Amino acid sequence: MIARRVHAAIAAGLKDPHLLLRWQRQPKLLRDCGLDPKTIDLAALLKFAGLTTKVRHNGLRADIPSTFRFLSITGLEIEVFSAYATFHAGKSLAPTVQARSAELLLFLEQWLDFEKREHALLYDLMRHELALAQLRKLETSTPDLSSVVGQPRASSRPKVHGDIILHEMRSDPRVVQTLLSQKNPRLEEAPSGTFYFCYWRQKAEDIYVLELDALGFYLVSNIDGKRTAAELSSSLCGNRRTPKALLQSLAELAAVGIVVLG
Amino acid sequence: MKYLDARSGTTSIGLGFGPIVPEFLATSPDLLDYVEIPFEQLIHSPEVAEIQNSIPVILHCASMSVAGFVPPDEATLKSIEIEARRTKTPWIGEHLAFISADPLQADEETAGSPTTLTYTLCPQLSEETVEQVACNLEKLKSRFSVPVILENSPQYFDVPGSTMPMTDFIRAVAERCDVGLLLDLTHFLISMINTSREAVKEIDRLPLEHLVEIHISGLSIQSGIAWDDHATPATEPVFDLLRRVLQRARPRAVTLEYNWSPSFPHSTLRKHVERVHEMVGN
Repeated sequence: MIARRVHAAIAAGLKDPHLLLRWQRQPKLLRDCGLDPKTIDLAALLKFAGLTTKVRHNGLRADIPSTFRFLSITGLEIEVFSAYATFHAGKSLAPTVQARSAELLLFLEQWLDFEKREHALLYDLMRHELALAQLRKLETSTPDLSSVVGQPRASSRPKVHGDIILHEMRSDPRVVQTLLSQKNPRLEEAPSGTFYFCYWRQKAEDIYVLELDALGFYLVSNIDGKRTAAELSSSLCGNRRTPKALLQSLAELAAVGIVVLG
Repeated sequence: MKYLDARSGTTSIGLGFGPIVPEFLATSPDLLDYVEIPFEQLIHSPEVAEIQNSIPVILHCASMSVAGFVPPDEATLKSIEIEARRTKTPWIGEHLAFISADPLQADEETAGSPTTLTYTLCPQLSEETVEQVACNLEKLKSRFSVPVILENSPQYFDVPGSTMPMTDFIRAVAERCDVGLLLDLTHFLISMINTSREAVKEIDRLPLEHLVEIHISGLSIQSGIAWDDHATPATEPVFDLLRRVLQRARPRAVTLEYNWSPSFPHSTLRKHVERVHEMVGN
């Protein structure tokens, strides 16, 4: 087989992995390119496209080191990036690390099978690391908001104090990170369940990860600085009267400092 | 500016440039003799060149497509020439690979322009490619004031039409072209694993009289294939190969390529650099 034509076919297939998929479906097309389909391992080429895509995303490692370690430990790296190579084919890399991370996360949301435990852990871990990275990079400084001292009432108009990112997860990525720091991580030890996290930056140097209960999570999700506690209650619980539990939750959030009571 | 004295008769030890290098250099300046920087990185991020104020630089390259049938453009070669002169690199390490190829089908949209990738590909391992490498190298040799040496590619899949295994291909190129060898031991081990060959036997068949430089890095086995991995440290089998090579030849430089991850542990890096110093007898 003429080397020049072989190189042309391989380069074209790697440049556009959709072509590799098409050749897999219609091997005859390879003959038209001067290649015997039996001599070329298209599955291996697709995996190689995954390696090159992974390498092109090395710039993300600073923000999501544990995610990359997780991919490596679980042997998912090539599989994930190979699928991403096809998904991303024909597009150029986003100009910033943040935008590249967002694109990768968007792909994972569509591609991962959340019934698979490792996939769920991966998704949570990446969102955890990205939330922290995003808050670290925020340039705005939060003004100090004055809070009404005392217990929240139905007429209180709560506001979020600082920058927050909220994630509902199937695992606790902090536990996964601890496991990953071990030489031979036993990822099966990471508990599964429903976890509600609030990533909160009050000042540039202070970033917190708060684990909330369901009520606290949905309460913070809905606080907009405009609606009163009573209105939030009506929206969340459908209650006419503001339940004690909601006011108690607001009080706890205010005590931590994440919410100020207007 | 600092320059590498590659005639000193010892083996210099260096790092492939990456995110951990500046800090490591600051904390362990005496452990390293040079930093190896890809030409492409110097073009993309010219500020990287400032590191040569504190340590010599060896120029690496992935743009000349020496095993390809589509030549690099004149502007690229000119830029490599300029960087080679500016850095006073003792040699230019280039991949025994290709990055550009003929278009699959010339259509209106591409106007028959070549397919160019941003990474190197293992070529067809054949006499035809050996001859092409010889032809390409002949043209390149006359342009640079320092030698071009060739780095073996990792083989992840069989390239159609190949007529010889990787070891024979490297030997054929070295002998036909009388060119220096940049032996990437991890690439070599990967190729041997992926083609079911015994690395320790095959390495004894390499033309080490051509050896100039060695690369080491990590590797990982995923989805049934061994892959290059500069985010993890070299494994024991890589060090075994290094030991075996050093019994037969003395390279002028050994480069540790741990340059993909900003969180690569400094303690591991230090340990490996010290280990290589000890192995080469510095």
